[in-house]
Amino acid sequence: MNSVGEACTDLKREYDQCFNRWFAEKFLKGDRSGDPCTETFRRYQRCVQKAIKEKDIPVDGVDFMGPNKDKPES
Amino acid sequence: MVQWTSVDHPWETVTKAAMQKYPNPMNPSVIGVDVLDRGIDKQGRLHSKRLLSTEWGLPSIVKSIIGNARTYTYVQEHSVVDPMEKTFELQSSNITFTNMVSVDERLTYKPHPEDPNRTILTQEAIISVKGVSLSSYLEGVMASTISTNAGKGREAMEWVIRRLNAEIEELAATARGTIRTPMAAAVTEK
Repeated sequence: MNSVGEACTDLKREYDQCFNRWFAEKFLKGDRSGDPCTETFRRYQRCVQKAIKEKDIPVDGVDFMGPNKDKPES
Repeated sequence: MVQWTSVDHPWETVTKAAMQKYPNPMNPSVIGVDVLDRGIDKQGRLHSKRLLSTEWGLPSIVKSIIGNARTYTYVQEHSVVDPMEKTFELQSSNITFTNMVSVDERLTYKPHPEDPNRTILTQEAIISVKGVSLSSYLEGVMASTISTNAGKGREAMEWVIRRLNAEIEELAATARGTIRTPMAAAVTEK
């Protein structure tokens, strides 16, 4: 599965692998011992937030410039 | 409009699969998924906020007129996994084309009350079409699409679960293979 930002797909896959393993082997089994994915998540997030701004995707709670959601193609 | 269906796998298996739902052949229009935020609350539940991009496959001539970026629909999803109560709840709505239509979907995955090896999936969709006189017709059309999709939801889970099981078997077979080869070599040497 790709990321919304083409450049972020590799970072996303790295994070997803880490998360899916932690989710299945720790979280669902009630093991709350630390999240090993914080660093890879941070890297992935930096890329995604940038892509969202660039593509003007009107995400709730993300810094979005301008009030209009349906801007014409510039 | 609430529907429910059951998946013949325990809740943990279905929840793992649901987290990795895309891509799957039953939902070909979902082309991108990103996690925007994730965290565990004070009750130990995992909250995730995700962004899904979907491509409805408009003919290329339409795309060339309205521009590529405008053919994507974006959906924002908020989900909560409670590993103690064994519930996985998702809620999603479109964040583009909101001036025309609003599709708000809710899904819950819970263990079957009588059989821990099965999971109940309930789906509800609230659709509103704004300022269009054909609204009840369009709502009817979309409602029947979503009703078809309820069965697809279960099929998608079965597909992802089979894929995950196949990956595990492949790993096990590879491990067996590496152990067998040196033993076979030892036998033939004699």
